[in-house]
Amino acid sequence: MTMLKRAALLAAALAPTAAMAQDDGLNIAFLAASSQNGFNQAVYAGIEAAAADYDNVTTEIFDGEFSAQVQFSQVEDLVAGGRFDALIVTPNDTVGIATALEQATAAGVPVAATLFPIGPDLSQMEPQVDGLVTTVAADPSIGARIQAEAVVEHCEGIDPCRVVVLIGQLVFPFDNLRYETFQEVLGEHDNIEIVATGEGNYSPEESLVAMQDILQANPDIDVVLSNADQHLMGAEIALDDAGIDVSDVYLIGGGLNQITVDGIRQGLYDASLAQFPASMGAAALDAVVGHLRGEEVPTWINERELREDVPAIVDREWLEAHPDFEAEWQG
Amino acid sequence: MTDTPNQSATGSRIDTGRVLDFAREYGVLIIIGMLLVGLSFASDSFFTARNLLNILNQSAPLAIIACALTLVIIGGGFDLSTGAIFGVASVTAGWLAVNFDPYLAILAGPALGFLLGAINGAIITGFGVHSFLVTLATGLVYRGLAILITDGSLIPVRIEEFSWLGRERIGLVNVAVIVLLLFGAAMTLLLNGTTFGRKVFAVGGNEEAALLSGIRTNRIKILTFCLTGMAAGLAGVISVSRISMAEPQAGTGMELEAIASVILGGTSILGGSGAVWRSVSGVLLIALIGNGFNILNVNPFFKDLTTGVIIVIAVALAASARRR
Repeated sequence: MTMLKRAALLAAALAPTAAMAQDDGLNIAFLAASSQNGFNQAVYAGIEAAAADYDNVTTEIFDGEFSAQVQFSQVEDLVAGGRFDALIVTPNDTVGIATALEQATAAGVPVAATLFPIGPDLSQMEPQVDGLVTTVAADPSIGARIQAEAVVEHCEGIDPCRVVVLIGQLVFPFDNLRYETFQEVLGEHDNIEIVATGEGNYSPEESLVAMQDILQANPDIDVVLSNADQHLMGAEIALDDAGIDVSDVYLIGGGLNQITVDGIRQGLYDASLAQFPASMGAAALDAVVGHLRGEEVPTWINERELREDVPAIVDREWLEAHPDFEAEWQG
Repeated sequence: MTDTPNQSATGSRIDTGRVLDFAREYGVLIIIGMLLVGLSFASDSFFTARNLLNILNQSAPLAIIACALTLVIIGGGFDLSTGAIFGVASVTAGWLAVNFDPYLAILAGPALGFLLGAINGAIITGFGVHSFLVTLATGLVYRGLAILITDGSLIPVRIEEFSWLGRERIGLVNVAVIVLLLFGAAMTLLLNGTTFGRKVFAVGGNEEAALLSGIRTNRIKILTFCLTGMAAGLAGVISVSRISMAEPQAGTGMELEAIASVILGGTSILGGSGAVWRSVSGVLLIALIGNGFNILNVNPFFKDLTTGVIIVIAVALAASARRR
């Protein structure tokens, strides 16, 4: 037997052992947009909980500091370091990070994306990067459409129905897409008028300032529509300070954190678009582990279908019927 | 008789020169005045007592920081940790209000800020490192503390005994505005009416000369950082009590806004000259632009551009005044 044949036989004999050894020590990195953010922490909590269901999967979190450059470097460092079997990313820059992730997949490190797809088209959930295992997300315009339709329903019989939009930051492509969707859906109804738009920058404080200013010029409003629950917290204070009965204004946000759930139950807010970061993280981890074990995994896991026990828009009526419901993140 | 035209021309030049001097000296006030007039014509909702008080109320936390930061900058220092002190004081006060006592929480914010400012001052003077580098580093440490306290989450603080500071009014005027006026007056008195204030100018103007004339420059520097830390802590408490929510990321970028406001008002970035009222004017200028954009419902894309252009004009005016 030649040396080559002996080596081939040895490799064949050891192959299952090698695969098991690899499976014994799966190490998954979560590249958070920011590890100091409640939403991202909940995604990681879901990843950790899912990893605990396996005997051999460990995880680590990396802080992207809400910086595209930091996250890009992290991908490069982790791939070069070779410690991780897969990456799960909540991207800060959905387009810019693509190059680094292509390097990762080319180096044999599979990648899953959460919250947003990776690539230039935010509405395209199928992989836009070669080798991307799965995307656990939903087209931001779908959630925005659901929110706007809830506003349309509320505005039935109110003419004019004056709406204030509080959006995160219009320089973010996903917020721009949401805003355009709000305009498109509400613009189809003659009784609805967007009287003002403010940027809340995902901060209760900045939302408060924007809403106070808007109320100076538009003291009579019927709806506050926002993509983020944090904005409602500032808006509610501004309405109250202006002597407006908050219960007369329909306040709808997005994200469904526990503070908002409590606020809806207390009657401070009306509704929120449900999001489930922990479920998102768990789904991403299961997908990458399945992929590493050679299983077929879906290339897109629809974020909106992760918790079918909860409606897309959570309002007071639903919460009253489900008193034990708890959000997946604090706020 | 032939002198008359020449005299007239000279008089005209003097008048033009005086106008230019005035414009350079009080550029920020002139721009504020122009904005007030322009926005009053553009919107009926602008020039109302309610809106003007609203602007003051919104600006109170930043203005309080800027008032005290003026002393640091006049003294030749720089403080990049005010945003982080604001954040850590916010979450500490919020946590204390929820878990212990709301009144203790209100006092704890400024006290903690004073302590953190003292640490800044002690490191700067003790190790002889430039305040820019020290406060850049301590800012990271303080922000880390804020995140550790909250685990990165928000803390709801809906407690009336706490929220009065940010939300209650005396007559038409918010308590926060009254706090700002009192704090601004105290800082002005301290800077312009005490030996401590004169020493701050001396240290910022020429530290070596100040040292040789017997001034304990390190002590003066530490005190200016203590005051700025205290102001950042107070501002943080006001902010939390206003929105009934403590957030660990609160105050992010505020240090640069505060520095920009101080410089925008005309205080020299090199130290040795400046005034508290100038810094408050700088804060109000930036606040007016934001308020105008929200009231007029102008596309937010243009806000940064306009703010930048106005800041460049104001800073150029202030710089030309210093070159004379």
